[in-house]
Amino acid sequence: MTGVDSSAESPAVALESARSPITAAVGRFCLEQVETARDLYRVFVVTLYYSVRGEPNRKAFFRQMYEIGNRSLIFLCIVMGFIGMILVYQGGLQTQRVVPDLSLLGATFLQLLVRDLAASICALMLATRVGAGIAAEIGSMVVTEQVDALRMCATDPIDYLIRPRFLACLSVFGALVVIAAGVAFLAGMWTGYAFFGINPRTFANMSMVGPGDLTIGLTKCVAYGAAIPIISGYCGLTAFGGSEGVGAATTRAVVNSSLAVIILNFVISGTGYLIFG
Amino acid sequence: MIRLEGIAKSFDRAVLTDVNLFVPDQCLFGLIGPGASGKSLLLRMITGLMRPDRGRVTVAGRDVLTLGDLELSEFRKGIGMLFQNNALFDFMTVGENIAFPLRRLFQLDEAEIAARVAERLGRVDLPGFEGRLPAGLSGGQKKRVGVARATIARAPIVLYDEPAAGLDPVTSQKIFDLLRAEQRAAGATVIMVSSDLDRLLTVTDRVGMMLDGRLIFEGTTEEARNASDPRVHQFVHGAVDGPL
Amino acid sequence: MQVETGTRSQPHPLSASVARFLSVVGGLGVLLSEILRRAVRRDFDRAELLRNLYRMGLKSLPIVTVTALFTGGIMVIQAAPIVQRYGAQGLLGWGAGFGTLREIAPLLTALMINGRVGANNTAELGTMTVTEQVDALRALAIDPVAFLVTPRFLSIVITLFLSTIFSDALALLGAAYAGAGFLGVDPGVFYRGLTTGLLGFGDVAHGLAKSIVFGCVIGLSSCHFGLATSGGAPGVGRSVNATVVASAAGVFVLDYLLSFALS
Repeated sequence: MTGVDSSAESPAVALESARSPITAAVGRFCLEQVETARDLYRVFVVTLYYSVRGEPNRKAFFRQMYEIGNRSLIFLCIVMGFIGMILVYQGGLQTQRVVPDLSLLGATFLQLLVRDLAASICALMLATRVGAGIAAEIGSMVVTEQVDALRMCATDPIDYLIRPRFLACLSVFGALVVIAAGVAFLAGMWTGYAFFGINPRTFANMSMVGPGDLTIGLTKCVAYGAAIPIISGYCGLTAFGGSEGVGAATTRAVVNSSLAVIILNFVISGTGYLIFG
Repeated sequence: MIRLEGIAKSFDRAVLTDVNLFVPDQCLFGLIGPGASGKSLLLRMITGLMRPDRGRVTVAGRDVLTLGDLELSEFRKGIGMLFQNNALFDFMTVGENIAFPLRRLFQLDEAEIAARVAERLGRVDLPGFEGRLPAGLSGGQKKRVGVARATIARAPIVLYDEPAAGLDPVTSQKIFDLLRAEQRAAGATVIMVSSDLDRLLTVTDRVGMMLDGRLIFEGTTEEARNASDPRVHQFVHGAVDGPL
Repeated sequence: MQVETGTRSQPHPLSASVARFLSVVGGLGVLLSEILRRAVRRDFDRAELLRNLYRMGLKSLPIVTVTALFTGGIMVIQAAPIVQRYGAQGLLGWGAGFGTLREIAPLLTALMINGRVGANNTAELGTMTVTEQVDALRALAIDPVAFLVTPRFLSIVITLFLSTIFSDALALLGAAYAGAGFLGVDPGVFYRGLTTGLLGFGDVAHGLAKSIVFGCVIGLSSCHFGLATSGGAPGVGRSVNATVVASAAGVFVLDYLLSFALS
């Protein structure tokens, strides 16, 4: 996921590429992706290993919980509040064009929130805020040789740097999603009342939320909460080249975390639909 | 002891070519040469932080290139390192920085750790700095904290990359004398990279000179001062006229 | 000359945050006026504009493509239970269409472009600032706003606009195929549902107008935070973090206001 490099090639290689330049480029791209995927998988597995077998590092864990949880809360609430208002407003407008009865708007909205939106939007927002933060911190440690100094003190940077962030994000993400979903729902409820005159009691309708929806939503929480710190931590660890490298690593982290969230969303939603209907 | 055989490395161009280096036990070895000649790269290869394209690295009887991750971790417990840019952990205080290797390598109680940290800070002329943050220190102060952190674990092998860069002459001499005394007391094998040749040559046993990625000279300090190779001669004596 | 009169009291953290927030908003406003002045006078470097258009636009294509296709698929999966319940296969095109064109495509494209182009832009400008290249430009009597900032701002706006169009098309394509795959809805039925008349060009225009505003937000924010970087490599990381958060929040707030204003 680092893009195709345009480094100078020796004449022999250039000749080789000249015969089938597109195939060479595609092949190189695919090989890079495979290598990245393999490294990412390794980081994930090693992090899990340290999570279970490593010595506990409570101070770092709580500090990360504060960084990821407390400091994202206001941002998430603002975003989810506006999302709630936008969705109910647009949804109401469009439904009115087809069906005059808006009584199920609240129920549909709640189901959508639980099943998908709360977790996914929070994940996208955290991918930008937390992903950038993690990659920036770890990336600047890499380019100032602090990560090498850690290795020289017999400390694995995955254990010391990524593990606390991974555990903190997993722990805190679910709570953030629940709070944010609540804010979105209340904002939507207000919008429904203010613009369409829907009775809040009618809006607060849980009838369409089933165990399948809850399962899908919770699975997404776990998946996103695990993916974001691993991917951004990996991007941070692979930074190189001074301040430019830190910026590049931060950008990669945001882009790749966001992409991962979208792809995971599709996979989990699709699987969920096939299982639960 | 440390032995490098046939080391070669290139990025876009060759940065190290056929380097053969031998550092006997308990020797204080000075590695000199103009900028970008590959000195820091050699240090990183000895620690396993970088792998050469070709060649073999043997440290204390172990082939570094065959070590797996966990073995590398164990191996590094026996090496202390001072990085060129200090690499102090900027999220920890000075005291925690210096104590970090102790905590990772040994099980000592807090009083013992505090005592050793205070002793180190005293030796590098920074008494009472335990609570300060690296961001608030001058370049020279950061360098001295780096020296304290590199020497606190009394490792059998220590590598110093520019231990006196940015320090005034008096402090520089004190640091060199300190590192020499540490090496004698611990019987450690030391490699020191420095551009301050006059002071470096007062403490070294043997010297090696790098030029354009090759090791062009290896011998005792006396041999370096009286080298027949005009390039070595010019560099050691800091003359302006000559092949360099 | 200041006279110290005893201890200075620290500002309350809340007022410090508010002051910081206001200073950022003020900085953005000033930068916006400077950019617009130069844009109107056509006082910007054309070569830089083309170079940035190429880099930002072309290199974002893969991301926008993947995002749009998957988003279309997700829209269909979300609508699927409702469609199944009411047997409204014919309305799938409409259901996926209006959400996509008016909201989802502009919003998600803006977020992805924010992450890729906005963050990258801030990183570049930030690096140039901390390595004093921007000061060097000023010393050479070259106006950094005209040379660096305005071309980047304009190319972000143009890139987002074009990407949103592209994204609209691809999301609907992805939705059509997901509809065929998950619900067995024939793509032809899907297409008819799109064009029955419940959706009009107004919906497309609604989305595109938003994309222009989002582009302005992202461009402005990324340039501002890039130029205001300080503190070496960690400072660059902090700036990227700040711009990504500020742009995302700005995009959502403006999305709401625009949805309301444009209906």
